[in-house]
Amino acid sequence: MATGTAVDVVMPQMGVSVSEGTITKWLKQEGEAIEPDEALLEISTDKVDTEVPSPAGGVVQKIMAQEGETVPVGTKIAVIAPEGEAGEAPAEAPPEPATAEAAEEAEKASGAEGETPTEAEAEEAPPAPPQAEPESDGDGRREGKFVSPVVARIASEHGVDVSQVEGTGRGGRVTKKDILKFIESGAPARETAPAAPPEAPEAPAKPTEPARAAAPAGAGETVEPMSAMRKGIAEHMRRSLDTAAHVTTTFEVDLSKVVAIREGLKREYEQRHGVKLTYLAFIARATVDAIGKWPWMNAELRGDSIVVKNYVNLGVAVALEGGKGLIVPVIKNAEDLNLLGMARAIQDVADRARSKKLVPDDVQGGTFTITNPGGYGAIHGTPIISQPQVGILDVEAMVKRPVVIEDEAGKDAIAIRPMMNLCLAYDHRLVDGAYAAQFMRDVKTNLQSWDEAAY
Amino acid sequence: MEPAYLLNLGRTPYLEAWELQRSLAAAVSQGAIPDTVVLLEHPPVVTLGRRTDKQEVHVPEDAEVDVVETDRGGKSTYHGPGQLVCYPILDLNRHGRDVKKYCRDLEEAVIQTLAPFELEATRIDGLTGVWLKGTPPTPPHALSGATPPPRKICSIGVHISRWVTTHGYALNVDLDPAPFTQWITACGLEDAAFTTMASELGRPLSVDEVRLHAATALEHVFQITFSELPAGEGAGLWEQPLHAELATRR
Repeated sequence: MATGTAVDVVMPQMGVSVSEGTITKWLKQEGEAIEPDEALLEISTDKVDTEVPSPAGGVVQKIMAQEGETVPVGTKIAVIAPEGEAGEAPAEAPPEPATAEAAEEAEKASGAEGETPTEAEAEEAPPAPPQAEPESDGDGRREGKFVSPVVARIASEHGVDVSQVEGTGRGGRVTKKDILKFIESGAPARETAPAAPPEAPEAPAKPTEPARAAAPAGAGETVEPMSAMRKGIAEHMRRSLDTAAHVTTTFEVDLSKVVAIREGLKREYEQRHGVKLTYLAFIARATVDAIGKWPWMNAELRGDSIVVKNYVNLGVAVALEGGKGLIVPVIKNAEDLNLLGMARAIQDVADRARSKKLVPDDVQGGTFTITNPGGYGAIHGTPIISQPQVGILDVEAMVKRPVVIEDEAGKDAIAIRPMMNLCLAYDHRLVDGAYAAQFMRDVKTNLQSWDEAAY
Repeated sequence: MEPAYLLNLGRTPYLEAWELQRSLAAAVSQGAIPDTVVLLEHPPVVTLGRRTDKQEVHVPEDAEVDVVETDRGGKSTYHGPGQLVCYPILDLNRHGRDVKKYCRDLEEAVIQTLAPFELEATRIDGLTGVWLKGTPPTPPHALSGATPPPRKICSIGVHISRWVTTHGYALNVDLDPAPFTQWITACGLEDAAFTTMASELGRPLSVDEVRLHAATALEHVFQITFSELPAGEGAGLWEQPLHAELATRR
């Protein structure tokens, strides 16, 4: 997966007329590890304390404002370094520039970064908590500039040296538009860089929808108003279909080996670890493993950027009884979990969902979702992606079916096998059919040739 | 008008209510339930905000009161029976992502709650909360003839995570305001006077008489319509059958 670069944390914008914030408490200290979206500090404005989540995972490399300090919105207050790079110097100072031009550029870049207010994204509206540089998961800084994966790809395709392109993005960053323009112009036409980006206006508050009149009941009909939860789900599902280019692909998987292994481990898990070993745990483990090889399944489209996460926060959809709604608790850093850990984590979130113990952190920041209608006997589905994720895996019922296999002698035979369909819905805007199919092939292979030692 | 849930609870221990708030905030944050407002009373408790100075707290050793450190904004305060505590769990993504506006909105809701009692409350710039100015209709100030200082009737303290609010306001309905000054230097305000609706009106008043007005004011200010949840199972909201039942309501 992509290794990140150091990510700055800035004082977030907490309101139109809020120009500064006071740091009340650092919840993490320098040198401590932090997960993406984990609360990093608390800030105070007026009589309101707000948790500021970390824009990235890694290690708190540097804290640049102390508790009690009041700093203007947009001020850099901390640096999060990717894990394993904590000891290195922060990537603040760009490498020695080769030319005077580059020096000027680099200066512009670092100046803009330290001082200008954060560029609030007016549409996508990630709220005040500091946003990681959308491209920070990609190639990172080159010559003091951020280069997004998209730009890097376009540059390499056209043999363009990115450092020659004038960036108009934040901190002098080269945007996709910049590089395309550069290529079109066919010459390194230097334009004057614009002044500091204007502060984007706050996203306008959503106009309150006028209350819809209740539909009149016809003969033989009963009418009840939609619950608020139903409305919320309706809105999200509709928006997802309007956003993503949904495609579903179905794979059938022979679970013979998983069934056998589960039979062997079930008791031990229950007695020694107090954990119920479900098929879902196997599938989750196999999926997370395959995501490692197909990182775009775990990405997000943010504007024109492809943001790849180097962690897997696995959402597990839990249906409410009677089809009245659903909640999706998230297993954080699922890539760290072996089969036992995964089984335990699934049990944990399910238990906590039922015993009021879920906290906001438990339902936020999912990067890929698994849903499990197979428990009710479904054998095929076309699920809707949970935005802004790129994929959702539908786990269907395991059914004993006659299948044609090859026996030891290489002859065709009919056998009874526990078969399961796995249906993946993916966003074709980012993921192409071949990519999705290869991802699913690997999930299937992981399950059919389950390697106990590896998991 | 967006639909919202209202939970009317009785006297609820502070920590229990805090846990409920966090659980509700999780659900609101994910859109599993709409904005939810909890109205309740607390047994006597002194709570410390993130910005509480040690000198503010001088609770006598024999006082029967818990002291709890919280994650809300502001300084120390006191809660006790006779005070209406309001915890709006709102997703500010729906109400303008602005912490200052939210504080002003809460103040507005309290001002509108007091209006039906003919109590004219105001804001004071830079001192979040709701205040009464002018001469109260009853002693002691009426006797002395002097213009009394502004009196605080409602304190505000809020916590936000992912733009979902917890904590809220505490409106003094009918209680002895002595703890605000004797036990703590409430809100870090050295010479502030604290008052109650009852002492301003010169008659006893129950928290229940105020609940409905508080709810109506919140509906008006935040453009929401409440449907009330059964309070008994409030803390067990995550038990799925109940949750499903809640989802079928309205």
